[in-house]
Amino acid sequence: MPRNTPERTVRGWRGFGIGPWLVLPALVLLLVFYFWPLVRSLQLSGYASDIIGNPTRWVGLGNYVSLFTDPSFLYTVFISIVIALLGMALATASALAASVLLRGRLLGSGIFRVIFSLPFAYSAASASVVFAGLFAPSVGVLNVVLGAVGLNGPDWLSRPLPAIWAIAIATAWYEFGFSFLVLTAAVRDVPSEVVEAAQIDGANEFRLAARILIPIMRPSILFLVVTQTISGLQTFAQIQILTLGGPAGSTTTFVYRLYQLAFGNGTPDFGRASAVAIVLIIIVASITAIQFRLFRSEETA
Amino acid sequence: MSIFTKTRTRNTRPRTGTIVRFVAVLMIAVVIFFPVYVSFLGALTSNGALVRDGIFPKLADFTLGNFRAAATSIPLAQEYLVSVGVVTLQTLAQLVTGALAAYAFVFPQWRWRKLAFGLVVITLAIPGESIVIPNYELVSSLGLRNTVLGVVLPFMAAGYPIFLMRQAFSAIPREVWEAARLDGAGDIRALFGIIIPLCRPQVINAILWSALAAWNGFFWPLLITDTASARTIQVGISQLASSEVGNPAIIFAGAVLVVVPTMILVIVAQRFLVNGLSRGVLR
Repeated sequence: MPRNTPERTVRGWRGFGIGPWLVLPALVLLLVFYFWPLVRSLQLSGYASDIIGNPTRWVGLGNYVSLFTDPSFLYTVFISIVIALLGMALATASALAASVLLRGRLLGSGIFRVIFSLPFAYSAASASVVFAGLFAPSVGVLNVVLGAVGLNGPDWLSRPLPAIWAIAIATAWYEFGFSFLVLTAAVRDVPSEVVEAAQIDGANEFRLAARILIPIMRPSILFLVVTQTISGLQTFAQIQILTLGGPAGSTTTFVYRLYQLAFGNGTPDFGRASAVAIVLIIIVASITAIQFRLFRSEETA
Repeated sequence: MSIFTKTRTRNTRPRTGTIVRFVAVLMIAVVIFFPVYVSFLGALTSNGALVRDGIFPKLADFTLGNFRAAATSIPLAQEYLVSVGVVTLQTLAQLVTGALAAYAFVFPQWRWRKLAFGLVVITLAIPGESIVIPNYELVSSLGLRNTVLGVVLPFMAAGYPIFLMRQAFSAIPREVWEAARLDGAGDIRALFGIIIPLCRPQVINAILWSALAAWNGFFWPLLITDTASARTIQVGISQLASSEVGNPAIIFAGAVLVVVPTMILVIVAQRFLVNGLSRGVLR
């Protein structure tokens, strides 16, 4: 970068430059509310807690040992991953289908685009509230509609397996909006010459999608797979609003367990809750590291 | 007018292809639209009408009573106002801290610039829901539990808007900034008078994202508030969903009220959001 006058003036300003001062507000806030919590969580996770949650005595890895020898926590790890992957797969696959099918001209494509972006307007909480009304036992609309087309819907939220599906469906629906917007942008960025060349070669719609569009959209798909998995691992509102972790603990995900341990009805246990947080942070950080690797190898390939 | 708007010189195959495409899109659209349709309809018809008359209700079923019932079940108006306050404060704070930081990352040269930006990028990889306990301790110790400021404070700066604006500012030719500086504009003047106006679409995009995130927040506002005085509408409707379990119509009314502002935003700014995504999300 060329060093020219204005730069040098800025740099020379009291020998340090204005840069650090402008970054300071953001950096201080991020250090206090993102980095300090990492350090503090790590520290808290090494302590036992008194009855109001405050750290009492150092137990080293004790909280981690008690978590990983507790079958219900191992189940939490398992079900968090299952729900994250189910939600991500349903959302990404259906959004991919929708965005590829909507490529080019189609009757009503404007209306379809609006409909497909509507879930993006919902928060995890408001989507879950809608699904609470849909899944409600006896007064829920979903089973009435399923009944009308001859299907017998389960009592969604009172048995483990349907409840897990209910959470995954609500999650996928709410994630669909973002996925659709990302993939629509990706479809639009596919050069039209590439598409036309394939059509001249006689490729039908299916081959066009499988051989041309989807390979070109790979970075966006990969991005969604990673980000939706990460957000799925942090599922909370859906659980809090639809199942409260039940029935029988079957939908107790990472963040819901953290919430129960630290802020639930029992005595708060910030130590064990922080250990849960650290486990989640490590999992998310590893996924992010893999993502960076993948993107880098994609760029150099 | 037929659905075969594609005027290619091929005969039957692309036509069946288009029909298949249309039917497939329609099927996905029905599934995606179903929760929206049912929740709006449920909110606007008397309780039980959906179950009784199915999803095509009679005119006599329509009512606004569910909104009134929702407002007596939870302090809706107050929680709505709190949410508006949270969105305003949080978005403004993220815009100011973010624009200053992004400017400093692009234009002035300074020693630990790369390192500082690296720290910002790392925050993007920290799962927000997992750092609530220390933030809860901190905000509580400041005496800010149950206040709007307490809801906003941990989110006055965010990595993503900084990242978006840095991207946008980097695309501006350096000469533009240099010329402004030579004309005697200070850094703040250069940023708000020249750089931001030049990047208006991307800055608006960053603002939209900040505002959506602020409106949609749930976990943190749930933890840090315990009375209605600082409770956001997202937390309010979650409580509505548990207290009105037998009345889906009232639950739907709450869901409709909370989603209307963002739905208008998404419909109006739809093209805009797509533009922002293709340029912003993937480096």
